[in-house]
Amino acid sequence: MTTALRGTGASAKTGAGGWAARRRAAAARRRERRAAEVANAVPVRLYGLRRGTVTLLTLCAVLFALFILAPLAWLVVNATKTQANVYSTFGFWFARPFVLFRNLGLLTQSMSGSGVYLQWMGNTALYAALGAGGATVLCALAGYGFARYRFRGSNALFYLTLSTLLVPITAVALPLYLVYAKVGLINSIWGMVLPSMVSPVGVYLMRTFIAASVPPELVAAARIDGAGEVTVFLRIAVPLMVPGLVTVFLLNVVAVWNNYFLPLIIFTRSGSYPLTVGLALLAQGAGTGSKGGLVPVLIAGGLVTVIPVVLLFVLLQRYFRADLLRGSTTG
Amino acid sequence: MTSAGVGVLGAPARSDQAPPGRLRAAGRGGPPGARGLWFVLPFLAVLTLFMFVPLGYAIYTSLFTTKLIGGTSFSALANYDQVLTSPDFWDGVRRVLLFAVIQVPVTIGLAAFFAAIFDLGVAKFGRFFRVVFFVPFAIPAVVGALMWSFLLLPQLGPYTRLAGTLGFPGTNYFSSSLILPTIIVIVIWEWTGYNMTILYTALKSIPRDVVEAAVIDGATFSRVILRVKLPMIKPAVVMLVFINLVGALQLFTEPSILSAFQPQAVSYSFTPALYVYNTAVGSGEYNLGAAAAVVLGLVIGAISAGSLAWRRRKGDLA
Repeated sequence: MTTALRGTGASAKTGAGGWAARRRAAAARRRERRAAEVANAVPVRLYGLRRGTVTLLTLCAVLFALFILAPLAWLVVNATKTQANVYSTFGFWFARPFVLFRNLGLLTQSMSGSGVYLQWMGNTALYAALGAGGATVLCALAGYGFARYRFRGSNALFYLTLSTLLVPITAVALPLYLVYAKVGLINSIWGMVLPSMVSPVGVYLMRTFIAASVPPELVAAARIDGAGEVTVFLRIAVPLMVPGLVTVFLLNVVAVWNNYFLPLIIFTRSGSYPLTVGLALLAQGAGTGSKGGLVPVLIAGGLVTVIPVVLLFVLLQRYFRADLLRGSTTG
Repeated sequence: MTSAGVGVLGAPARSDQAPPGRLRAAGRGGPPGARGLWFVLPFLAVLTLFMFVPLGYAIYTSLFTTKLIGGTSFSALANYDQVLTSPDFWDGVRRVLLFAVIQVPVTIGLAAFFAAIFDLGVAKFGRFFRVVFFVPFAIPAVVGALMWSFLLLPQLGPYTRLAGTLGFPGTNYFSSSLILPTIIVIVIWEWTGYNMTILYTALKSIPRDVVEAAVIDGATFSRVILRVKLPMIKPAVVMLVFINLVGALQLFTEPSILSAFQPQAVSYSFTPALYVYNTAVGSGEYNLGAAAAVVLGLVIGAISAGSLAWRRRKGDLA
């Protein structure tokens, strides 16, 4: 046990080398998991399927994939068009003139007083980074506290946390607004960031994850070696919690990035808007036709809004654990 | 288990809670468990300030009435009476229930179908399709609704033209009879992949020998899916029914974005969430809006409580 502890401590200290080693280990684990998946599947031929059935089922999947991808293809294609061409040319193919870069350039300008897209982008990134980062830290701490300690009232507090899973965001947004109006938090970034840090689902996921992947023996051994509680948490527990942390972080980034109801209610100044509220504002202008030339901004803006989250998923997908999604009860 | 925590929730009853013996061992050599409270405290502080306090304040506010002349006065349950007797509020409630009755089964049905065929490997390129189907989960509902608004625009949208070519000229997806089906399609587009991913991981956690035994007994693949696999993932399916239902009752973003393009298509009380928003923020009737928010919260909370109770009965939660 003591050797195991020293090993973990040492690898955490070595920095880059330890990181690479952990990545290699993670890759090996993934390969193992994939191999187990393959071994676990019953060979298709055993079902006595005709080849036509496989083709038919694959065709179903292709059709549904088209249904999913068509709007995205439309978004990419039409981000390169002028407003007139968006309406007058075939929606799923390019048209001259090709004005993608001009449209992207419009994102840095104020469109007839509705506010600047680039600023909304910055706001969203800030809210997502602070909100999701804070949520991950709070969930890691609380999950660890619930999973590895038993203190007076710990069960009651855990049930209290679980019970807040039942409270829908639509029911909290207006109450938050009413309180903010009293204490002067309307239009404050903290009014957006701090409630975004509340993630009962994340606490539940972390507690479950820690219960399964941070061995209590390791924690006990570290204590015997004289490590303090904080040291044990940072040096022993956190390195073992990485996949859970990444999953909780990603889920919270998506939640903040895509949040519309809360910022719509608590922000009254367009300078504080995140992308979702800003785009909806542009849509109001473009849809009612009161402001000309907003459509290309709206479409290019939509495209640029989508890219960061999709990229983040691609970059972090090796850590993302879809099986953890099943723990969430609020969609 | 191949690595720490694989299938954490895949086998909830087994791995959800560390056996009591292990916890005791953790506490024995070291300091008292009381220090655990310090780890939990930051979360509880934020939770209290940004959830319990506002909810308490909303309930308090909902018991008062503010009049232009005479100021604010205590009015007990008058606001609740007004919400619960408002035909507009019930109109929205009926609409989201109708929405849920169609959207939830279709979404979960499609998700289960694709999860099953990818799990059995009876369709090609399953890994690719699983990624593609999941993509809308990462796309903000605002952008999703925007794309669909343009695709379905009366006269000009590509899908409107497609309907024209197929023999339905003059189709208006935003008309009062088609607006709800339109929103249903958009929500199915957004959530099927998420549901499929969850069902897929549930199916993957079923041990091979169970399926093998059925196959050796001569079960066809549709029988394997319907009689062997689906019954084994019933807990996941029931959970998804609740998750989708709760989401459906909170419907807000999609109709409010569509209304930017067709303001007459979506009334101020189209869904209960729109009613809350338009009453409180739109018309400035905070007390009434607070009462509506509390009612909505209680209804959704009750449904979620039902799901939690169901899960606990099945030993899924600690």
